[in-house]
Amino acid sequence: MFFHIVLERNMQLHPRFFGRNLRENLVSKLMKDVEGTCSGRHGFVVAITGIETIGKGLIRDGTGFVTFPVKYQCVVFRPFKGEILEAVVTLVNKMGFFAEAGPVQIFVSKHLIPDDMEFQTGDMPNYTTSDGSVKIQKECEVRLKIIGTRVDATEIFCVGTIKDDFLGVINDPAAS
Amino acid sequence: MEISVPVRKTVVLEPFIKLVRTVARVFYDNYTTVSDNQQKSARTESRGTAVVVLDALTRRQWVREEDLAKDLRVNAKQLRKILRHFEEQKMVMRYERKETAKRAKMYSVAVSATTDGRAEDNVKLHTHSYCCLDYQQMYDIVRYKLDRIKKKLKSELEDKNTVQEYGCPNCKRKYNALDALRLISMEDDSFHCENCNSELVVECNKLTSKEVVDGGDNAKSQQQEKLKLLLQNAEVRLEPLMELINRVKDLPVPNCEAFPAWEARAAKAARENGDLNPNDPSRSQGGYGSTLMPFLGETKVEVNLGEGKEDVKSEGGDPSQKVLPPWMIKQGMNLTAEQRGDMRQEEKVDGVSGGGAELSDDKKSAMGNGDDKDLKDEYLKAYYAALLEQQALAEKANQQESAGDTELATTSSDRQVGVKSKREEEDEEDEIWEEQVPAADGDFQVDLNVEANEEDEDDGIDWQEDSLLNTD
Ligand SMILES: [Zn+2]
Repeated sequence: MFFHIVLERNMQLHPRFFGRNLRENLVSKLMKDVEGTCSGRHGFVVAITGIETIGKGLIRDGTGFVTFPVKYQCVVFRPFKGEILEAVVTLVNKMGFFAEAGPVQIFVSKHLIPDDMEFQTGDMPNYTTSDGSVKIQKECEVRLKIIGTRVDATEIFCVGTIKDDFLGVINDPAAS
Repeated sequence: MEISVPVRKTVVLEPFIKLVRTVARVFYDNYTTVSDNQQKSARTESRGTAVVVLDALTRRQWVREEDLAKDLRVNAKQLRKILRHFEEQKMVMRYERKETAKRAKMYSVAVSATTDGRAEDNVKLHTHSYCCLDYQQMYDIVRYKLDRIKKKLKSELEDKNTVQEYGCPNCKRKYNALDALRLISMEDDSFHCENCNSELVVECNKLTSKEVVDGGDNAKSQQQEKLKLLLQNAEVRLEPLMELINRVKDLPVPNCEAFPAWEARAAKAARENGDLNPNDPSRSQGGYGSTLMPFLGETKVEVNLGEGKEDVKSEGGDPSQKVLPPWMIKQGMNLTAEQRGDMRQEEKVDGVSGGGAELSDDKKSAMGNGDDKDLKDEYLKAYYAALLEQQALAEKANQQESAGDTELATTSSDRQVGVKSKREEEDEEDEIWEEQVPAADGDFQVDLNVEANEEDEDDGIDWQEDSLLNTD
């Protein structure tokens, strides 16, 4: 699920960036530092959409670095148990398959793939129905439901299922 | 175990009682207040007490927990534990309060009416708790429980939404699908143990088997068979309960009010009862059916409108002349007055009475619709007119205590409310129809009220105090 929230961060800036472009420098550094990171609490920071406030800089003793407290608005993505996601298959093996929904990695184990789909080894390992009409392989797009998440301080990993109504392959670029 | 429990007529419908008893046996047969690490003998001793308690509660309304413990010959502490558990399970309503001697006495008065004077009077100033079965909530809870059981079994059967577990056959370390990213090795497409790098196997920790399965289709289908059997078994066992639930579904739920309301009502009814025939030996029998009705929740008579005969009778009086609903009456139709007018009046009755009492009203108007209906109507009209005057006089006399009086009236049953409210309203025409509702035993009920009014005059101060206390 996506959220638009306000976060705060203390930015340390090297004295060489001081000058008339200080603000721009600060913001671009913030984007570089924050976008694409993941925190267990808020999920993945997808994009910074605006700066709320930049506080007074504090010169640190010994170094010339200055610390600015920055409040910024950003879009974060946090997967939840029970959420339905669309993801791209990245790896298929006999234990199941891995897929990615943006920055999130999801694993679907074999027993959560419909029973009528069998694992096929080969160049392109895949799961296929007996009549061959549906095939899950690398680059496929699938719709899946998250049934479990593991949230660490800097990482979120999900386990999903496609064994339910309206889940499964939604688009296979190889077939078309 | 239950020896001295007085047999008492309750208005709680039989299926509800049966439901409670079945639920007790299905879900709480094994419930014990003794925790696992205590002695086994103690466990077996306390086993089944929960069932006994629930059974006993089906025969009572609000009851003081100490009295219940005494009746059942159970340790009061143990009983409290059980009741607290049931409260958590939303089966039972409990009410606690610190009691003065007077309050306790009030309850004793109420109880002595229900249990024929068995309540003890020597109560100290302690916190007392009372309990009562909550039929409505219990019905919901049981349905919810059954639903959860079914869902759980079904998801077990379908393997749904379970995070797959893996085990290392070598060092017995356990992993699950959430570790997948760390376990995947690039050499072959299987998971490897972080410890010893041997290949992991799929582990089954379903209800039926605990051992490691190779993921072979044979083993899997066997397991599915087992689960299916389990599900079927469960369905067979829960069948009686399901049936009961379905039966109860369309019945009006026994009306359970909060304790203060009940007590006020019970005490009032007890007073009326005692006032009317203090030494009547048949009081415990006949009294319960009629005067003490307020204790036992509202009288609810089920009228099955789907099946023709009774329906027709209640509306038309003559089975051959079916009363037409207003939208079916058109100009030029040849209808008797009864088919038009009487029906309208009947409708009015229904409209006025409304709400929960509707069912019983239907039935009663049906009873009143005999051959001597008109005669009875006339008599009642005259009677109520006279009564109206008398009560208007009484009203003036005890104006100052009217606050307490009406308070009590609202806590009493619907019928009494209807009768009392008449004094405040102006529209007499409507009133008469309203009062015809309880035609079957109406005069008796009204009689009671007259008595009550007079009595209120006697100790009006007392009542006022009580009602003030009750409102908090
Ligand atoms: Zn190992």
